[in-house]
Amino acid sequence: MLKIKHFIEQSWLLIVSAFCFGLLIAVTNAAWSPMIEQNRIEKLNDLMGGLLTKAERFEPEAELEIESAKGKKVKTSVYKAVSEQDGCVGWAFIATGAGFADKIELVVAVDKDFGSFAGFAVLASNETPGFGDRIKLPSWRSQFVGAPAGKLTLSKTGDIEKIDSEIVAISGATVSSEAVVKTINNSAEQVKRQMQEKGLIGDVR
Amino acid sequence: MSDKSAGTAKLYKETLIAGLWRENPVFRLLLGMCPTLAVTAAVKPAVTMGCCVIFVLLCSNIVVSLMRNLLKPHLRILMFTLTIATFVTIADLFLKAFVPGMSEALGPYVPLIIVNCIIICRAEACASKNTLGISIIDALGMGAGFTLTLCVLAGVREILSTGAVWEVAILPAGFVPWAAMRMPVGAFITLGLLLALVNALTKKKT
Repeated sequence: MLKIKHFIEQSWLLIVSAFCFGLLIAVTNAAWSPMIEQNRIEKLNDLMGGLLTKAERFEPEAELEIESAKGKKVKTSVYKAVSEQDGCVGWAFIATGAGFADKIELVVAVDKDFGSFAGFAVLASNETPGFGDRIKLPSWRSQFVGAPAGKLTLSKTGDIEKIDSEIVAISGATVSSEAVVKTINNSAEQVKRQMQEKGLIGDVR
Repeated sequence: MSDKSAGTAKLYKETLIAGLWRENPVFRLLLGMCPTLAVTAAVKPAVTMGCCVIFVLLCSNIVVSLMRNLLKPHLRILMFTLTIATFVTIADLFLKAFVPGMSEALGPYVPLIIVNCIIICRAEACASKNTLGISIIDALGMGAGFTLTLCVLAGVREILSTGAVWEVAILPAGFVPWAAMRMPVGAFITLGLLLALVNALTKKKT
């Protein structure tokens, strides 16, 4: 009995304040989490809208589980790009992979048959300023627009204007360029297969 | 009575100035080096970080000062950390909800304020021993001193790396950006030079 009394005497302040602070955080979180979620959706819609310009809105279509390059399973969402006139105009999904300094999150867009890429945009990255972060530049990203949605390869030299499955690396940022290509390859292949299994797209090989 | 209030006013003033210059957390105490080096590539994130630190410092100093008589010596660090973590989480949620772009730019450095030693140092050295008034003034002085230092460092780095301050170009168009200043190496060099400057300035006075 004495032990319990001693314990309470020593720790009541800690227990009470832990409870109060916990409550404070819970209230704050409840108040602001809808705004945080809204911000995330807005950013995603903004990026997807930039890639699939014909789309009027994006509907979450499926939750897929894809395996990362290291064998870890990651959940990803596939969004259907819809236009009133043409119906489905394409698909967009989030691809995650390891970059040079930190993980890279990309939004990848493809056409409605998953035949070619409509481009990608960087959702989150922490690449070296002035070097690796040039993966965000539209001039580099433009070579993905229209590239066949199969396996992409990276080369150090070549014509950046030519649209094919060969991607020209950024000089001085080979690792970051490679990370983007690998991430897109890994995710696109699995997303395509799973979407075919679900019957969302035809069997186009 | 007037003597006492004059004494308190003087003490308040001294506490405020101590944080800004004499005991400036970055230049004189060398505390909180992690955010100082990490978020000073540009002025905007530096100011945001400074405001977060002022908010957390103020709240934690108030709470710690109010509960200073109830603290058990061997549990005090635990209490400080708990208090600091709460307010840092609130600041982090605030940034995510209202300035998402800035929250992304600062990345993990906002949650890392929890282990920023300026805050725990002020809780230990000031708030747990002093009245509420002194603790508030100390938090404001130290917070402002930290923010100003961050701004000076960020200003130098932003001018040299982009030719702009607060994203407004001020250097002529022919200026060649110095990309190294945006990277950690720029932070270390600038901080080192500024510390040398401050040391040289204070040496002359004494």
